[in-house]
Amino acid sequence: MKPKVAIFSLTGCEGCSLAILELEDRLLDILDAVEVVNFREGMTERTWDIDIGFVDGAVSTPQDETEVRHIREHCTTLVAIGACACLGGLNTLKNHQPEEDYRRYVYGDRAEWFPTITARPISSVVKVDYELPGCPMIKEEFLRFVTHALAGRTFTLPDHAVCVECKKRGNLCLYEKGEICLGPMTRAGCDAICPTYGSKCEACRGILNEDVLKAAGINLREQYNVELDDVLADLQLFGAYQAKALP
Amino acid sequence: MLDRVISRDDLHALIDGLALQRRLIGPVVRKAPECRPPWRYFYQPVDRAEQLDLSFSYCVYSPKPFLFPPQETLFQFERVDGGFTARPQLADRPTALVGVHPCDLNAIQLLDHVFSAAPADRHYRARRDNTFIVGVDCARPCTDGVFCADLDSHEAHGGFDVMLYPLDGDAESAGTTPGRYGVVFGSRAGGEWVRYGRRGEVPTAADERTFDRYQRQKRTAFPHALKTPADELPQLLERSYDSLLWEATARRCYSCGSCNLVCPTCYCFDIKDQTTLGGDGGQRRRQWDGCQLRGFAQVAGGHNFRSRPAARLRHRIYRKAKWIRERTGLRGCVGCARCDRACTARINTVEIYNQLTEEV
Ligand code: SF4
Ligand code: SF4
Ligand code: SF4
Ligand code: SF4
Repeated sequence: MKPKVAIFSLTGCEGCSLAILELEDRLLDILDAVEVVNFREGMTERTWDIDIGFVDGAVSTPQDETEVRHIREHCTTLVAIGACACLGGLNTLKNHQPEEDYRRYVYGDRAEWFPTITARPISSVVKVDYELPGCPMIKEEFLRFVTHALAGRTFTLPDHAVCVECKKRGNLCLYEKGEICLGPMTRAGCDAICPTYGSKCEACRGILNEDVLKAAGINLREQYNVELDDVLADLQLFGAYQAKALP
Repeated sequence: MLDRVISRDDLHALIDGLALQRRLIGPVVRKAPECRPPWRYFYQPVDRAEQLDLSFSYCVYSPKPFLFPPQETLFQFERVDGGFTARPQLADRPTALVGVHPCDLNAIQLLDHVFSAAPADRHYRARRDNTFIVGVDCARPCTDGVFCADLDSHEAHGGFDVMLYPLDGDAESAGTTPGRYGVVFGSRAGGEWVRYGRRGEVPTAADERTFDRYQRQKRTAFPHALKTPADELPQLLERSYDSLLWEATARRCYSCGSCNLVCPTCYCFDIKDQTTLGGDGGQRRRQWDGCQLRGFAQVAGGHNFRSRPAARLRHRIYRKAKWIRERTGLRGCVGCARCDRACTARINTVEIYNQLTEEV
């Protein structure tokens, strides 16, 4: 029996579920191996008997919260895909602004019509079995997850920093240009795409662990002459770190 | 003793000849936008000798990736009626590495030793056996912070087919292009390359005197950085296992592994299978690993033999200055300071050795 797969979107650009459609040549192989039963971007027929549910987007409205609970009830395995679902993503930028301001800014004079809550990852509302982070989600990682799931193998995310992939690609480190790249703190898996194209990592795949944040706090205070608020803003961009100061 | 002297133009002609038969790799300068001054050098494939800068300072990465790549497929496998078949993948494309500094030659000697010990690593050997290496000597330290002279790895001790000594480059001023090189053969292939190429001359007594002077100047050009002589580092570390320095330093460590991954002597790897979606075939791949990475010493069941950053930092330093030396008699560290330059936490190995020296 082919596993029944569904794809859902909460608040976000739905770019991650689109990324699945962008798998193009590999998509046919996947469709051969699974049965897609619920996918707004790609079909009209829907059922609610689901083995693996993929969710992109953050929980950012009361409807999101209701919807994700409903999805959880109907999926044996729930997988958060993309920075929004895994970390809250860009949506969390509003968490650092007064609600009145961002509501006016986003919805104009219809602001009262749209209820909104603090943006958060779906794991803060329901139990999530796997996370495939990144903005957007990494297609190869999605394929690797599906391959593992079909074979019944345990899937794990890389447990090392973006620097590993950056060094393997032979890049010149951005610190040599005086930039504060978040690579040493951020979970790898993106093949260091941002540093490879000359932009510092902004931790869209999330922070590795508490230890690296502590190390960052010490290093940036003791070894570098930088505005900590700027670094904090980068850490907050995708919701990787929400606190007001580095440990 | 020199085997030949050769002019810059003749050398270029020889290298261009090499490029007809081999993929040519050597130091190339990269400027903006990737680099800000000072410009950085990288080993990369080129077509002609002219594109190389043999008076380069240092290359950001060592030539190791061309012998032991960051990731490679070892073999492909496929399910066939109940069993499976496997096809090894060996990279035997003829390659010439031109412009390798003594530190990196010493590191290549260690890689050769490790990957050739029985059972030899066929994948490494295939690349190595098809690689022709032309070393070029450093008349002065390539940059601040290196400690190659402490480890006597500012001199080539082998690992090359041909070694070049820049004879009339001015040892005092960086970046001058020498017009003449002294040549030392390191292998039969190296000697044949120069002799059959009909380039270069037999050195005269005056050339030998120039070479002597070059070596004397070189000895004074390299400062020493370590307070403990390199051959006493194993004893120093032996005494320092419980030093507080490891925790104190590692509180800054990200465990990012950059120090491992840029190191010319790090040879650890991990092996993983990549299977097709249907599970009926795939590839066995290996990629660089590093002892500073958290998962490195984690075993089945989840136990981690070195779960603390301090234990991992200590382990790396012990490998570099003690265990590899004791086990192989070769240098585990060649003093290139790439680890120190790569560390965004500014953890510095020379400081570690010198602080330990102060402690005991
Ligand atoms: S550029 Fe960023 S990711 Fe790359 S090595 Fe430097 S700090 Fe790490
Ligand atoms: S380098 Fe950083 S910001 Fe860029 S894709 Fe990777 S994790 Fe995301
Ligand atoms: S490069 Fe520095 S921060 Fe990264 S693992 Fe090595 S010592 Fe630690
Ligand atoms: S440990 Fe550091 S100095 Fe020694 S060979 Fe490796 S990168 Fe160079």
